[in-house]
Amino acid sequence: MLKHLYDTDCVTWSPQGKLFQVEYAMEAVKQGSICLGLKSSENVVLCSLKRQPSELAGYQEKQFKIDDHMAIAIAGLTADARVLCKYMRTECLEYKYTYESHHPVGRLVFKVAEKSQHKTQSGAKRPYGVGLLVAGIDPNGVHLFETCPSGNYYEYKCQAIGSRSQAARTYFESWFHLFEKSTLEQLVLHGLSAIKKAIMEDEELNEKNVEVGILGKNLKFTHLNAQELKDYIAKLEGFNPNSQIQQE
Amino acid sequence: MIFNSEFSGQQQHTTQPIVTGGSVIALAYKGGVVVGADTLCSYGSMADFKNVEKIAQVSKNTIYVSSGEFSDFQQVVRELAKIDRSALQYDDGVHPSPRDYGNYLARLSYKRRCKINPLYLQNVIAGFHNGERYLGLVDIYGTYLESNFVTTGFASYFCKAIISNYWNENCTLDQAKQVIRECFKVLFCRDCRAHDVIQLAYVDEQGTHIEQPERVETKWDFSGFKNRANEKLHTQ
Repeated sequence: MLKHLYDTDCVTWSPQGKLFQVEYAMEAVKQGSICLGLKSSENVVLCSLKRQPSELAGYQEKQFKIDDHMAIAIAGLTADARVLCKYMRTECLEYKYTYESHHPVGRLVFKVAEKSQHKTQSGAKRPYGVGLLVAGIDPNGVHLFETCPSGNYYEYKCQAIGSRSQAARTYFESWFHLFEKSTLEQLVLHGLSAIKKAIMEDEELNEKNVEVGILGKNLKFTHLNAQELKDYIAKLEGFNPNSQIQQE
Repeated sequence: MIFNSEFSGQQQHTTQPIVTGGSVIALAYKGGVVVGADTLCSYGSMADFKNVEKIAQVSKNTIYVSSGEFSDFQQVVRELAKIDRSALQYDDGVHPSPRDYGNYLARLSYKRRCKINPLYLQNVIAGFHNGERYLGLVDIYGTYLESNFVTTGFASYFCKAIISNYWNENCTLDQAKQVIRECFKVLFCRDCRAHDVIQLAYVDEQGTHIEQPERVETKWDFSGFKNRANEKLHTQ
């Protein structure tokens, strides 16, 4: 396929009906380090693997609080993510100012999707090179959404995006039927187990390169601190999802 | 063409209301909220439109009515309907709660007050959401208050004593309605811009119920009126 004929800009379709620029943008998301989210009937948990550009550098944060009831995890171009993060925070703030209540999650994801789509339909713009996992809780329930550079968005029970995320998704496929009734602790352990599947052989999970954010119906979004992360990672050794089935 | 320089190209600021609605009284009762308003729109001191059904249903579980400039009331109803329709626009079935409407109206009123061009209204938003009653008052300045009972206009002066004496927040719907009827009876006697036909509406778990207008009982056949016993004809 003579891709190069049709991939110069967003305003050119390929004969197969593809927009290559948008597809290339989705590649950028796949290059980002893994982040995943999973939800139960009461909580949502976001886990991500942080990259360290060099020995001298810190680790790149991948999870951002949007409001007390909402947070995102990003995979892809961090700069683009910052723009979307700022937009979401502003929208939440304005909603709170006007209505004194929390921005409905699905609605904000819709707005982000609209914004993203807009970038795919212009000669002078490029799509955002970042995928978001949006975790949020509103009167409609507990939500986990994924947004794409294409402007599509989907709601999930659990999802992983970024590099080697297929391994995490495979883990989810085996165990997601347990998540609905899981406790917060079980949810975090499932999340960390899934991330563990996605790391390289020579890497290991530690409290520095892993980021876990938790959100609950009565729990504002918080990151687990270093000590809590250490404790959870230690618990991973003895974590057996099979035992959860026996409890049910 | 002659343009009146006073009116062209210049923004006007509402300084006085022209067509006005009368007092509104709203009370919470056990299981919901009930609102009463009369069916009169006055043109100054003239009782111009006597059969106006004012109580607006804003959403499934919220009603709105206000006293003051009636055209502003109609505009606010449109604004609130716009918000309710946003559920359709976003395809998510999320309807604002009564409190969301109350806060929105407060922000709207405050914005207008800051421009010295107010929505000349005292607003009442009443609703029932997630098992909780809601009753909010937004005044012409954008002051926002939530309470168990709310009065606007002259009712704030004449009716608070009646409400104090005969109502409590756990009374039944019928008791609350009776208190409101009693209040409008008094208002009809004392407020020159009041009317004896009122409309009641209540919101409970099942939703909003807006009733047909009813005439408040008033007694005018005192012998003093009929026989004019105290009048004496003057003779020179």
